[in-house]
Amino acid sequence: MTTRREAVAAEIPRLRRYARALLGDDGEADDLIQDTLERALARLPQWRDGDNPRKWLFSILHNLHVDGLRRKSRRPPHVGLESLGVDQSSPSADGASGRDLDHALQLLSGEQRQVVLLVGLEGLSYAETAEVLDIPVGTVMSRLARGRERLRTLMDYEGGDRNGRASLRRVK
Amino acid sequence: MMAPRRSSESELHAFVDGELTADERAEVEAALASSPQALELVRDVREINDALRQRYAGRLSEPLPPALHKPLARLGRRPVAPFATLARWAAAAAVVMAAGAAGYGARGLLAETRRSEAAFVTTALGAHTVYVPEVRHPVEVKADEAHLVRWLAKRVGADVRAPALGSLGWRLMGGRLLPDQGLPAAQFMYEDASGRRLTLYVRKETGLNNTSFRFHEKDGFGAFYWIDRPLAYALSGRLSRDELMNLANVVYAQLEAQEAGKASGGQAQ
Repeated sequence: MTTRREAVAAEIPRLRRYARALLGDDGEADDLIQDTLERALARLPQWRDGDNPRKWLFSILHNLHVDGLRRKSRRPPHVGLESLGVDQSSPSADGASGRDLDHALQLLSGEQRQVVLLVGLEGLSYAETAEVLDIPVGTVMSRLARGRERLRTLMDYEGGDRNGRASLRRVK
Repeated sequence: MMAPRRSSESELHAFVDGELTADERAEVEAALASSPQALELVRDVREINDALRQRYAGRLSEPLPPALHKPLARLGRRPVAPFATLARWAAAAAVVMAAGAAGYGARGLLAETRRSEAAFVTTALGAHTVYVPEVRHPVEVKADEAHLVRWLAKRVGADVRAPALGSLGWRLMGGRLLPDQGLPAAQFMYEDASGRRLTLYVRKETGLNNTSFRFHEKDGFGAFYWIDRPLAYALSGRLSRDELMNLANVVYAQLEAQEAGKASGGQAQ
């Protein structure tokens, strides 16, 4: 049990990173992590030896997130940045500044965001991602392709000023 | 490439994500040479992944917010939690009763407690600043001598442990035994690759109540200290408050996990 607890504790920073990127909000992200830890704790005895702690914890987090979305759908809709008057029309020069990325991520569908982050940020394999989200690997792949394509467009990677961007790349 | 466009796009993603076999990789690499569009996609996806990691990298090193301390502590303490909670309630009740009986004497009690905690962290930080600059004799017993922890635990008279901080880049150098107001105390010293040093000071403490993390700072040295009876701990170093806090979190989680492992008959070393 000791090693299991240590394994869980060791995953907390990664869970927080994912939750923050997924939800785009610090407070909500930490609420989700708190719930995830509570549930993980309660289920620790059911954890089979050899189970990958990362996959197991991300599954718990995902299920709680989905439950939360269901509950939320009965509440008034989320107030988007656009309705708060946040200017979206002028992407910053490098197109990849943190705020732009946050914003672009939030413009993906939740399903796309999950796979883009689990694979691209957390480095989970397609098979692990499929298990965490409880969907077929083929679905992971199609959501990934669509999500990244959307990000490319949003981040002005596609069809933008390629020469300008190329020089920025070199500067970086 | 021979494959239809749709599957070829997925293949490019799989290429970036390391999902292909060596043969498939070679095929994609060959295709990339003749397709600027495919190359562009591969580059963009890599850039997106880099940007994501960069954007959220802070999460991996920053200290955990207070809201997460409770589940984190329970993560280590669960099997003993009901008793610990009971003991804490009993202690609280005793304080309330004492306060009721003695009127405003409670204020004196609190002040006394604060003074003792202050004395503890001052001594710990003092020991840190005395021994950390030592070049030839920073520690009394080196970490590679197996009896270090056993010896210190025996002398301090409690289950003292040296947390493993190697994954955070801190190597245990060793430890020493110190006098603290007539009581034995243990000091473990750690060093990172850049030569910075960190000490964990541990002493038996049964008089004061358990505390959460407290921070103390003096002359550029910082210390997080806490009491988790029967021991009091202070983690000191010339580090930023955030970095020290993060380390304190890890130390605390490890000690708790070992404690819980022991209580549940687990295999804590």
